Amino acid sequence: MTAPAPQEKDTAEATKKEEPQSTARPRIGVFVCHCGSNIAGSVDCGKVREAAEKFGDVVVAKENKYTCSDLGQEEIVKAIKENKIERVVVAACSPRLHEPTFRKCIQQAGLNPYLLHMVNIREQCSWVHSHEKEKATEKATDLIRMGVAKAAKLEPLEAREVPVEPTSLVIGGGVAGIQAALDLANMGFKVYLVESQPSIGGKMAQLDKTFPTGDCAICILAPKMVELSRHPNITLLSYSEVEEVKGYIGNYEVKIRRKSRYVHEDKCVGCGLCADVCPVKVENEFDLGFGKRKAIYVPFPQAVPLKYTVDKENCTHFKSGKCLLCVKACSNNAIDHKMQDEIVNLKIGTIIVATGYDTYVPKQKGVYKYWEFDNVITGLELERLVNASGPTGGRLIRPSDGQPPKRIAFIQCVGSRNIKLGTNYCSRVCCMYAIKNAQIIMEHEPETEIAIYYIDIRAFGKGFEELYHRIREEYQVEFIRGRPAKLSENPTTKAITIRAEETLLNKITEREFDLVVLSVGLRPSEGSIKIAKILSLTTSPDGFLAEAHPKLRPVDTAMDGIFIAGCAQGPKDIPDSVAQAKAAASSAAAPMFSKKVTVEPLTAFVNEDLCVGCGLCIELCPYGAPELTQGSKGGTKAHVIEALCHGCGTCAASCPQKAIITRQFTDDQIYSELQAALAQNKASNGKKKAEMEVS
Amino acid sequence: MGEAEKTFIGGLHEELAEDKIIDESQLEPDFAEQIRKYGGKDVMTCLQCGNCTGVCPISLKIDYKTRNIIKCCQFGLKKYTLGTRWVCATCYRCYEHCPADLNPAEVMIALRHIAVREGIIPPFIKAAATNLVKYGQSVKPDAEIDKIRKELGLGKVGAEHPEYNKVIREINVLVHATKYDKLVGIQEEVKA
Repeated sequence: MTAPAPQEKDTAEATKKEEPQSTARPRIGVFVCHCGSNIAGSVDCGKVREAAEKFGDVVVAKENKYTCSDLGQEEIVKAIKENKIERVVVAACSPRLHEPTFRKCIQQAGLNPYLLHMVNIREQCSWVHSHEKEKATEKATDLIRMGVAKAAKLEPLEAREVPVEPTSLVIGGGVAGIQAALDLANMGFKVYLVESQPSIGGKMAQLDKTFPTGDCAICILAPKMVELSRHPNITLLSYSEVEEVKGYIGNYEVKIRRKSRYVHEDKCVGCGLCADVCPVKVENEFDLGFGKRKAIYVPFPQAVPLKYTVDKENCTHFKSGKCLLCVKACSNNAIDHKMQDEIVNLKIGTIIVATGYDTYVPKQKGVYKYWEFDNVITGLELERLVNASGPTGGRLIRPSDGQPPKRIAFIQCVGSRNIKLGTNYCSRVCCMYAIKNAQIIMEHEPETEIAIYYIDIRAFGKGFEELYHRIREEYQVEFIRGRPAKLSENPTTKAITIRAEETLLNKITEREFDLVVLSVGLRPSEGSIKIAKILSLTTSPDGFLAEAHPKLRPVDTAMDGIFIAGCAQGPKDIPDSVAQAKAAASSAAAPMFSKKVTVEPLTAFVNEDLCVGCGLCIELCPYGAPELTQGSKGGTKAHVIEALCHGCGTCAASCPQKAIITRQFTDDQIYSELQAALAQNKASNGKKKAEMEVS
Repeated sequence: MGEAEKTFIGGLHEELAEDKIIDESQLEPDFAEQIRKYGGKDVMTCLQCGNCTGVCPISLKIDYKTRNIIKCCQFGLKKYTLGTRWVCATCYRCYEHCPADLNPAEVMIALRHIAVREGIIPPFIKAAATNLVKYGQSVKPDAEIDKIRKELGLGKVGAEHPEYNKVIREINVLVHATKYDKLVGIQEEVKA
C-alpha cells in the first residue's frame, strides 16, 4: 500500500498565509520529558533522547525533568531559535493535557502553533508498562520515531476566530439550572431557561427540609424561582423541550418545542377557578402518587410560572369531546383546547445542561419488597409525607392504614454501591437525607423509634458530621451496621420484620417496624440521556454526563461552549449543585464576555477532483457538517461546513474515493507514522532472522 | 457427632476470642491471592455489609457467619478459616444478594481446596472418600439402607450390578491417577 500523493490544491490553500515551503527536509527538534518520575521511572529518557538524535530530520534532541515548566518551555524556545527548528516533537503526556501549552510556546518562538506534534509516552507508555523498563524504553523510542515521521509532514494551519452570540440556554429548571440562569442574567446576558415540566423547581421543590441546617427547601427555593421569572434578562420556557441543536460554540441554532398547555400563559392568572370545577381527579406526580390533582392543574402551590396546564391524557374533553367546564369557569378566556405545540428557534452562544437526576426505583421484584408491601416506601416519598405542603399536611402516616408509625427503619444504599445493579457509585446524599428525615420525624413525634441500617455512613460535608452526632445524642436514633437480608410482612398488622446481620455484634437480628424507608440512590435522569444524544455529550461509566476533566475542568464538556451543572454530572447535594451551577455560569460567560472564540482549524475538507458526490460522509457525520453542493467545476460534490466540523475523521476514514482529508491527520501523515513504525520492525525482524540463520 | 467433627463446623468468633491480640505473625499476606487461585473471586472487594450472613440458611441454625469468614480472608487470618468451612451448602443465596458481586460460596469451596492441601481434612470427608473408592459411592452401604430400599420396592445398591467390579476398578484408577488418594490421605484404601 502506498501513501496517496499530497493534495496540492488544498495544501496551498491551507498554507497561503505562510512563506512558500522549501523543498529541503524540515529541521525537527525532539524534547523528551521525564515528568518527574512519571515517565523517567519506567522509561530510560537518556537512552530515548540518544536514539531520537539519530532519527532523520532531527537536528536537536533534548530531555527535561518537566518540559511543561517555564524552564522547559524556555529551552524549547531557545532551541528553536538557535537551531532554526521548523517542526517540534514533544514526547511527554497526553496532548489533551499540554498540547495548548506547547502550541503557545512554539508560537512565542515564531513558529506556527500547528507545527507541533505531541507523542504520548506517559499514559500510553510509562504508566502502562511500569514493570517492564526495557520494553517501555523501546516503545517510547518507537513512538517518537513515528512522531518525527509525522512531524516532517505537518503543515502550518491558522486558527479561526468566530463571534459569540451573547445569549445562553440553560436546560433544566432545578436548583442548578435556576442558579446558573440567574448568575448569567445578572452578568447582563440574555438567558433562555428550558424546563420540561409545567413548573421550575425540580426535585428540590419536592423536598421537605434540607440537610444539615434544616432549612425548608421550598422556602429558600421559591424566592429564587420568582426572581428568575421576573428577571428582565431571562425568558422562561416551561413545559418545553429541546428538540434539536446545531452549530458550534458561540453560534448554536436551537429548536425548542413548547408543548401545548392548552392554557394561554399570557392570559392565565393562576386563580384556580378552572381546577375547582374540573371533575377529573388523578394522582399527583409531584406527590409521587400520594396526593390527588385535577386534570387542569399546577403541580404545587408555589409553582413558577403559576399557570395552569391541561393534562391531555386525563382531560374529559380530550376523551369524549365534552365537558369544557374549565373553559366556562375561566373569566379570562385563557383555556383553549385547540392549542397546538409551538416551535421556537433560538440563536445561542453557550449552553448549560442541568437536567438533574431521577431516584432509583427498586424494580427488581423481591428486593426489599417495594412493590409488594404497602409500608415500604422510598426516601423521596417520605419527603412528601413529612412535608407541610404535602398530601398529609406534614403528618407522617403508614400507607397501609393511615396510622402514624411508631417504629421506623431506614435502609441505606438501595440502588447505590451495587455492582449487580450497575450502580457502583455512592449516591452521596442518601446517608444525610436519611439522618435529616430521622431528625424531622423525631421532632414531630419524639416517641418514635428509629433504626438506620447502613454499610458506611458518609457525612463528609460542612456540618454533616455534626448532624450525624446530634441525631445520636439528642434523638437516640439507632444505627445498625448491616445490609438487611430479608423483609417479611405480618399479614394482619402489616408491620414489617427486617432480618439483618448486625455486623458489629456478629449476630443476626430480627426486628419489627411499622414503616420501612428505602434510601434510594440517584440515577441519571431520562432528560439527561435524551439531551446527551442531542448535544453529542459523552457519559461516564456510571451513566451521568462526563466532565471534560475530573479535576481541572469539572463543568466543561468535550464540546466547546456546552457546560454541565448539578446532578446531571453526578450525584450531589444542594450546596454542591449550586456551587457547580455558579461555576458553569462563569465558564459559560467567559466566551460571551470576550465576544469571540478561537476555533481549532483541525477540520476536514474535500478534494473536489476526487469526490464523486456519493454522500456517504453526510450519512456518517455525527455533526451534520458535510453537504452536497454544486462543485466549482460542475457536478455534485461534497463540501464540509468548517464551522460544524469537529475533525473527528469519520468522513475521511470512510470516503471510498479518499477525497476527504482531515487536517493534521492526513493519509500522508498517518502513513508516514505507520511506515516509521513498520520500517523499524522490519529491521529488527530482519536482524532476528539473520541471528537465527547464523545459529 | 464426635468431638473431632465438631471442630470442623464450630463457630469462628469463639476461635478468634482465644487470641486476645492478633499480630502480624498470624497473618498470611497473600491469602486473598491463594483464594483467587482456587476459584474464589477477589475477597478484597467485600464491603462487609453482612447481607450474605443474613440470607445464609446455615447462619440461622448454627454459629456460622459468612461475612466473618470473608473478613478473615481479607485480613489473612488463614488459620481461622480452614477448619470450619464444610458447613456451607453452596446454595449461592449469598452470591445472589451480594452487592459487591463477590461469590462467598465459591470462596468457601476455595478454602476447602486450600485446607485439604494443608492436610486439614475432616474425618467425614476422609470417610466419604474411602467409601467412594471401596463402594463407588460416598455413603457406605449397610443392612439398614438395604432394608428401607427393599420396603420401597428397590433393589440393592451397587454390588449386584453386573459391572460393579469394573466400575470400582475404574474409580480406583482415576483416584490414583489424579493423586486424589494422596491428597485426602487414603492411599492404603486404594487398590492400585
